[in-house]
Amino acid sequence: MKYRSLIWPGLIFCTAVGFAADRDSPESNVARLTFQELKEAGAKDSKYLQQLTSVVDAEVPKADLAAFEKTIRPILQRSCVRCHGAETTEGNIRIDTLDPNLLQGKDVAWWLEILAVLTNGEMPPPDEVELADEDRSAVVAWLSRELQLASSVRRATGGHSSFRRLTRYEYNYALQDILGLPYDFAKDLPPEPASDDGFQNSSELLHMSVVQFETYRQIARKALSRATVQGERPPVLYWSVTMKDAAKIEWPKQAEQLEKLKEKFKDDPDKQKKEADRLTATFTKPHNNTYYHDPSTGRTARANWQYHGAKFAFKPAASLPEIPAPSDHVAIIPQGRNHGLIVELGNRVPDEGTMRVRVRASRASLEESRIPSLQLEFGWRASNEGRAILRISAEDTQIKASPDKPEIYQWDVPLGEIYPRNSVRDTSPMGALPSPSEYIRLVNSSATKGDIRLDYVEVAAPVYDQWPPESHKRIFFDSAAQENESAYAREVLTAFMSRAWRRPIAIAEVDQKLKLFHTMRPRCDSLEEAMVEVLATVLSSPDFLYVIQDESASESVGDAGQQGQLNSEVISAHELATRLALFLWCSVPDAQLLKLAESEELSDSKVLADEVSRMLADRRTLRFSEQFVRQWLDMQLLDFLDIKQHVPGFDPLLKEAMQNEPIALFHEVLQNDASVLDFIHADYTMANERLAVHYGLPDVHGNHFRRVKLDAGRMRGGLLTQAGLLAMNSNGTDSHPLKRGVWLLESLLNDPPPPPPPAVPEIDLADPEIAKMTLKERIEDHRNHAACRSCHAKIDPWGIAFENYDAIGRWRTQINGKPVDAVSLLFNNQKLDGMDGLKRFLLLNRQDQFVRAMVHKMTTYALGRPLTFADHSSIDRITADVRKQGDGLATMIRLVATSELFRSK
Amino acid sequence: MPLNLNSLDRRRFLRGTGLALALPLFETFARSPVRADDDPSTPRRLACFYFPDGVPMPLPEDPAYRDWAWFPLGNGEEFTFTKVLEPLEPLRNDLTVLSGFSHPAARSVHGHSNADQFLTAAATGYDGPYQNSISLDQLYAGHVGEKTRISSLVMSTDGGTGTPRGAHTLSFSRSGRAIPAEHRPKRIFDMLFVKSDDDAARRLALSDSALDDLLTDTRRLRKRLSSQDQRSLDEYLSSVREAEIKVAKAKHWINTPLPTVDADHLNLELTPDEPRLYVQTMFELIYLAFKTDSTRVATYQIGRENGVGKSDHLARAVGFNLAHHLSHETKNVNGWKNFGIYCRFLNEEYGRFAMKLQQTPEPAGEGSMLDNTLLLFGSASSAFHLSRNYPLILTGGKNMGFKHGQYLNQVGTNAQGGAWDGRTEPWQKKATHIDEPLSNLFVTMLQGLGIRTEKFADSDGTVSEIL
Repeated sequence: MKYRSLIWPGLIFCTAVGFAADRDSPESNVARLTFQELKEAGAKDSKYLQQLTSVVDAEVPKADLAAFEKTIRPILQRSCVRCHGAETTEGNIRIDTLDPNLLQGKDVAWWLEILAVLTNGEMPPPDEVELADEDRSAVVAWLSRELQLASSVRRATGGHSSFRRLTRYEYNYALQDILGLPYDFAKDLPPEPASDDGFQNSSELLHMSVVQFETYRQIARKALSRATVQGERPPVLYWSVTMKDAAKIEWPKQAEQLEKLKEKFKDDPDKQKKEADRLTATFTKPHNNTYYHDPSTGRTARANWQYHGAKFAFKPAASLPEIPAPSDHVAIIPQGRNHGLIVELGNRVPDEGTMRVRVRASRASLEESRIPSLQLEFGWRASNEGRAILRISAEDTQIKASPDKPEIYQWDVPLGEIYPRNSVRDTSPMGALPSPSEYIRLVNSSATKGDIRLDYVEVAAPVYDQWPPESHKRIFFDSAAQENESAYAREVLTAFMSRAWRRPIAIAEVDQKLKLFHTMRPRCDSLEEAMVEVLATVLSSPDFLYVIQDESASESVGDAGQQGQLNSEVISAHELATRLALFLWCSVPDAQLLKLAESEELSDSKVLADEVSRMLADRRTLRFSEQFVRQWLDMQLLDFLDIKQHVPGFDPLLKEAMQNEPIALFHEVLQNDASVLDFIHADYTMANERLAVHYGLPDVHGNHFRRVKLDAGRMRGGLLTQAGLLAMNSNGTDSHPLKRGVWLLESLLNDPPPPPPPAVPEIDLADPEIAKMTLKERIEDHRNHAACRSCHAKIDPWGIAFENYDAIGRWRTQINGKPVDAVSLLFNNQKLDGMDGLKRFLLLNRQDQFVRAMVHKMTTYALGRPLTFADHSSIDRITADVRKQGDGLATMIRLVATSELFRSK
Repeated sequence: MPLNLNSLDRRRFLRGTGLALALPLFETFARSPVRADDDPSTPRRLACFYFPDGVPMPLPEDPAYRDWAWFPLGNGEEFTFTKVLEPLEPLRNDLTVLSGFSHPAARSVHGHSNADQFLTAAATGYDGPYQNSISLDQLYAGHVGEKTRISSLVMSTDGGTGTPRGAHTLSFSRSGRAIPAEHRPKRIFDMLFVKSDDDAARRLALSDSALDDLLTDTRRLRKRLSSQDQRSLDEYLSSVREAEIKVAKAKHWINTPLPTVDADHLNLELTPDEPRLYVQTMFELIYLAFKTDSTRVATYQIGRENGVGKSDHLARAVGFNLAHHLSHETKNVNGWKNFGIYCRFLNEEYGRFAMKLQQTPEPAGEGSMLDNTLLLFGSASSAFHLSRNYPLILTGGKNMGFKHGQYLNQVGTNAQGGAWDGRTEPWQKKATHIDEPLSNLFVTMLQGLGIRTEKFADSDGTVSEIL
């Protein structure tokens, strides 16, 4: 028997549990509590925080049917069977015929449902049937125990697998980490579907096809070719451009303009002078678009770049010229994305290597609060219609330098990552049509006004800080064996394979690849070329592409074999290292993790916990924050939100900020190990200038995200009030209470409502009565249809509480002249008074549900497989630990990662 | 069987749906390579052609309408060709002219930027970042490409890939990368009938060894997995085996003698400076490739958009200087006629090619070659720079079930058109007709070609009128 002792202490809920519907504290008292006080008050009712002792310690677990017959059946008979029995069968469920044996019975799903509606106070309907607190507690307690037991039995009898291939993004990050290149390798792979849980790393979804397989091979070969080099260091080209030089092409145009005008009015000297004066005056004024300014003459000229003939292109030099002394002869770039300073580079920008761009710039204003941001773009225009332009700076650069002390700002851009390049750059000569020339463009991306001054731009490419580059040396390291090709090939292979396959490599495995090397070597010009081919197979092998659970060697849990532990089969230390790295870095383990796996130290709980802390402090954790949050909150919806819908107040900068905010908040909570209840409400948010403007928050400048304190105005805070999450659950032009309600239930409470039945009546907008109604009234009308009622009663009230937020998440108090009505009644007559009321309700009554939902989602993601009923008890156990240790997000991650579930097959 | 907790403890079970199990792919592909000459079925071929700069669209009240409008007059089986399409009269019962189709994602984009998406339906836009998607021909080549020596023939008058939004090719790979088009008749001929690619043989040998090695990896790993996980790994295993079969097929072609053709009538050194002969030769090469079953898929972009390139000189075939100018000068005296004469020239050559297929019996099958070949001929703009109502002619494919002899006129006589008067251009005005997604036609074509699919890009149906 594998299940020696199945029930952990502290997990059985035997005492009275507080229920929303039965709460006797007057609403007015609750309304006066601060959110902090609410968090404390809500925690008092947590079933997970009750310190209880186990009552079960059976050798062979058995269903407690006696207690059911004695206590539970009579309660159900009294309170439930009238509506869920033979005569009336509401919701298509009969409670009187359910099998009370949860261990062997077939009705576990229904019992889970019953536990949920009783715990949430959703049933029985408060005005129809009485259910005394102690009865409710008795049923909940009995059900919890039976479900725990049943879940543990199923867990021990197996039937779950995390065996899967890497996702597209994991594959990408793994290549980045193995090769040491921050490139986007995986873009040719098809996108992944998402599971019902919303997670892309779910084992049941990750399939393989011949097209996918061939793409892996192509990507691997290309990535390895890019990581390695042949021959001498390529010469560097330098473009150095002063704005004085750049402006030279503009001044004669002004003289020409003046000449033309004088010619035009030559017969009318008065008019001629008047017009000439008017025109001359424009030669000294500032412009809304990028322009040059020559202080010696006071003149200005717009930067009028044209692609034709590549006349604006600067020639590169073979050596780096001395940087000229700072000059007042500058280009001035006002805020705005539709213009910028174009520096045309011609057709000699290399295909690969780093392009280093440096500019000497300052802000134009003396005011410290107006710090503008600069963005770097790359583009080209070959013909009238053949063109492209794309951003190549990863993040915006704040130009903090004051006008009297300009500073140098620098970007390093991998040229091989720029797509599309000008495809005629090698075939069409300079000056011809199509033009082969390419350019960089500097754009002032500030959210609000604030000019940038710039007097010097320098571009160098291809820059290699060392030769051969680091990525090459990683694979082809210096070795005493280099003299002997075969011996060196063995060394290269062994090192690379153990990194890629994240485990010790058997000699036979190296021998096999070495044999492949010897087969391929005669067909290749160099050792490096043949090795790239062989390493490409290492990276296309299932040993790299799949997350593997080795069945041939089972181990016992290191120190985890404590008393009371389930003796489920444990994954190996190397498998644990991979699982951990995929969880927290979306990638393969680093050298230290592999070392700890090698020495088996990783199996030690303390060492494992320390590793989690180390990993969370690493920058690679940002990938986890991004991937987990995007999948957890289903943020693809926001990606698909179409900006072209012309919602006033919506722009690309805002969309970017919206996409970033949930991730930034999550990461902030993670870094501080703050309580996950901050996702329901927090007195701070993460914002940049654009988002702050959207929220009406003062004094936030610049495009970077930072923590911003929120006043007690209660319109923002937590995830529920984030503009992007509200916007993606809108219909583009107005709020969508149903979508918002469903999203809240699915993502945050893990309580997804059923999908609509096949024959749902549409809301008939042609009906004049309906057309007159407000949205809320329409929804209520719709809900009154019998077919819709049961589901909508569960969804709508949640969504209506969001009504103070419009289609793009702005706060509003009126809709079409009518005051916003965001008051709704939950199924149990619990009143939700707008967002404030919703948050209060969740904090007071649904803390356990929310924390458990997060643990559920995080564990699903961490394991890379859908959870099964067998995992139910483990999730409860982790949730209880999280709650007892203060709900911290980093704590939750550590508890998931060190849980028995995470370390088991 | 594991129960899904989410579907259990939350209400999803109310849906009443069963658990969808991902069944592993069984090794259905592990059989010997299919050789093209063993393939008993008659080949089904696809060729797509593109011409730039739209077509003459005089308004019905314009005196030039009856003679020089590109679209025929009438509807259904009751239609007459104008002088522009007149050269296709002998093919009348083998073709369908279509109006009222376009790709939704590019309808508001200036026509000059749209050749890129003619066979892909991608939102390629006019500026900013750029991403394309797989083209119709490459999708089909993905299915039949390995049955012939060359998976597909990609040709254009201007050659290469061109630039994004200024494509010189109609063909785009699965990941949306432009596939370079060949513009030199000699190179195309050599590729088909003269030389085999040495490097290709080397690459295939390397692939062969690599796949062998990966099979060993897989078998070794398989032993260490649970039986459940072994089934998941079988998807990988069959992928490697399929890849092996592809390599075997490719090697087979390298070792198969090249077909011999009589090329005495061809001048392979031609350039677009001899426009009519050049276009004829390009069409003839496709004919020869099809006849020898060297490929079953071809694209030919007769000209790039906006007159930058060699293809603009093709107008010299009918005594004009530059083709693109003709589309701009329609308000001048004889403007429509001149533009129409140029379009007529293209139709003459397209017709010559189609008739040759019509007159050639299928080498090893029923009917004529045309009956087993589907030709799409068209452009991504109609009226001046207007990216709607693409002028389209679908020809051939009777043995695939296509029904012809009709003008599927969805727009009626209300098409946007008229000469550009120097003010707002037709493409900037409000649409007079909501087109059907052209991808619907693509789905119908693919189905006729024997591909089991219900969807291409943004399609929302099929075109039942041509079946």
